[in-house]
Amino acid sequence: MSVLFNQISKVFADGTVALDKLSLEFDKGEFIILLGPSGSGKTTACRILAGLEEATNGSVSVDGRDITNLPPRERNMSMVFQNYALYGHKTVYENIAYPLRIRKIDRDNIDSQVKKIASVLQIEQLLDRRPSQLSGGQAQRVAVARALVWTPDICLMDEPLSNLDALLRLQTRTELKRLHQDLGHTFVFVTHDQEEAMTLGTRIAVLNQGKLVQFDIPRRIYHEPATRFVAEFIGRPAMNIIEGEVSGGMFKADTLEIPVTGQPDGPVAMGIRPEQVVLREGPTDESVSFELDVLELIEPDTLLFVKKGAASMVVRVMRDVGDLDRGAEVHLELPADARHFFEISDGRRRI
Amino acid sequence: MAAVATLVVVLVLFLTPYIWIILTSIKSRLDALADVPVWTFTPTFDHYPKIFIDKDYLPLVWNSLIVAIFSTVLSLIFGVPAAYVFARFEFPGKEDLFFFFLTTRMAPPISIVVPMFMLFSVLGLTDKPIAVILAHTTFNVSLVVWMMRGFFADIPREIDEAAMMDGHTRGGTFLRVLLPMAAPGLAATAVLCFILSWNEFLYAFILVAFEGRTLTVGIPGLITPHGTLWGQVAAVAVVATLPILFFTFLVQKHLVRGLTFGAVKG
Repeated sequence: MSVLFNQISKVFADGTVALDKLSLEFDKGEFIILLGPSGSGKTTACRILAGLEEATNGSVSVDGRDITNLPPRERNMSMVFQNYALYGHKTVYENIAYPLRIRKIDRDNIDSQVKKIASVLQIEQLLDRRPSQLSGGQAQRVAVARALVWTPDICLMDEPLSNLDALLRLQTRTELKRLHQDLGHTFVFVTHDQEEAMTLGTRIAVLNQGKLVQFDIPRRIYHEPATRFVAEFIGRPAMNIIEGEVSGGMFKADTLEIPVTGQPDGPVAMGIRPEQVVLREGPTDESVSFELDVLELIEPDTLLFVKKGAASMVVRVMRDVGDLDRGAEVHLELPADARHFFEISDGRRRI
Repeated sequence: MAAVATLVVVLVLFLTPYIWIILTSIKSRLDALADVPVWTFTPTFDHYPKIFIDKDYLPLVWNSLIVAIFSTVLSLIFGVPAAYVFARFEFPGKEDLFFFFLTTRMAPPISIVVPMFMLFSVLGLTDKPIAVILAHTTFNVSLVVWMMRGFFADIPREIDEAAMMDGHTRGGTFLRVLLPMAAPGLAATAVLCFILSWNEFLYAFILVAFEGRTLTVGIPGLITPHGTLWGQVAAVAVVATLPILFFTFLVQKHLVRGLTFGAVKG
């Protein structure tokens, strides 16, 4: 099975362009993440796939069948909503059973399927309760159970974890990953949280202002961001970007000068991830000295905010570096294979 | 303590007239008209059979019931789907149309009673309960639209979407998911419609005169040239409150939830 977004555009009544010619294709069994900041069109893309929103232009097809104009019920997809959208007047059991009831499955089958998915999600003891008696995490599981109790072609999730507290969010994230590995369903998961995206996704579609910026496996999104936007959006703290100029094999930004190879002369934005900068005890051949501005200890790591002239950077060191005074000189190496170069003009990756 | 005191004050305030009426309905004419209210008296139960059997007021109870029930049902049938559309869809002139519904309640009822009477005369419907039913429906529909829009709006849109993802059509979503979820509001609205229709006097008085009379219209008949028959008036009043008591108790759980409807949880 494959799902194809073909040149999907969505313009809302007020003129907002939510999606601009989005094209995307993925296969059955994948865990696809739609990632982007608010207003990037990720939720709109998900809702167009669900049939809850009509595309202004373009088409969506599943296995070659055009589903652009089908109502949601004929698309064989289920959805987990951000606020869970459980039916308040029904018990948990009836909430989960509801998609089966609508599809007129016989009673015995419904019962066995509800119990099966309830045991997978470990909510058997909640079946008699009402949604108002559930905690956020429990309600979230019930919503997932309702979405997976039948065998939809695709399970859509619109920021399902964002209403959970931090700890529960981590647990549920792991559980979703296990669920995907065990059941092999196809998931499309909308989030603005890059960490969720990186951990859950088999592939991530990064959207910005209605456009697809990059669609790739998490490793490549991290190591080879297609644009400066992706580079800064993925990773925490965000990738350091220093705008400067290459001339004669040197990258220059204010007083910072680093030798580079293979870069044509001209203005460029150089990026390096905070965790890939190497802190040295003393000066080395490749090191550059920076001035320490602020030091934050976030056990077990240390964040060093450093500057050199107008150029500033964050460095993440995976250990406690002890006490360093403000203004102290620190020696940093920016390994050549960890550097990224982006065009100043449009943010595209060079080479 | 303050809560109890408030409760006592409220109860005294609201129950005194009602107890007064009940007592009057079992007082003799002499006791009822005593200058200093009489609290101890020999009760008489003559007024009830007198009014409902001898004076044949029983069919009036029946008429009132028919009018209240049918106008409530009609108002809901027309008003609830309209309220759903107001709560969920965008269309040009939506708020103007909604306001128009409200304005039908703003005009003093007496200002349109004559045109309405002429309309029903032409249609040959005067002195038939259907006339009162339709008249009451005209102003109850706006109440239903106004109240139910709020109740539907309180249900998150995602519920509709979840139901459609689960396999419902839009119609199925409305009938099988939204209506049950709005049941408390529906009950509150229905009871309010019923009470308004049951208590309504002006239209019932103008539109029907003989066979189709409702209970409220029957009461002025007891003001005679020889004085007001207070015992019988009170007896009719007591009977008139019974259905309202009954319905209010029947749906009081829903009524309280309905009238204090907050966000739907879950």
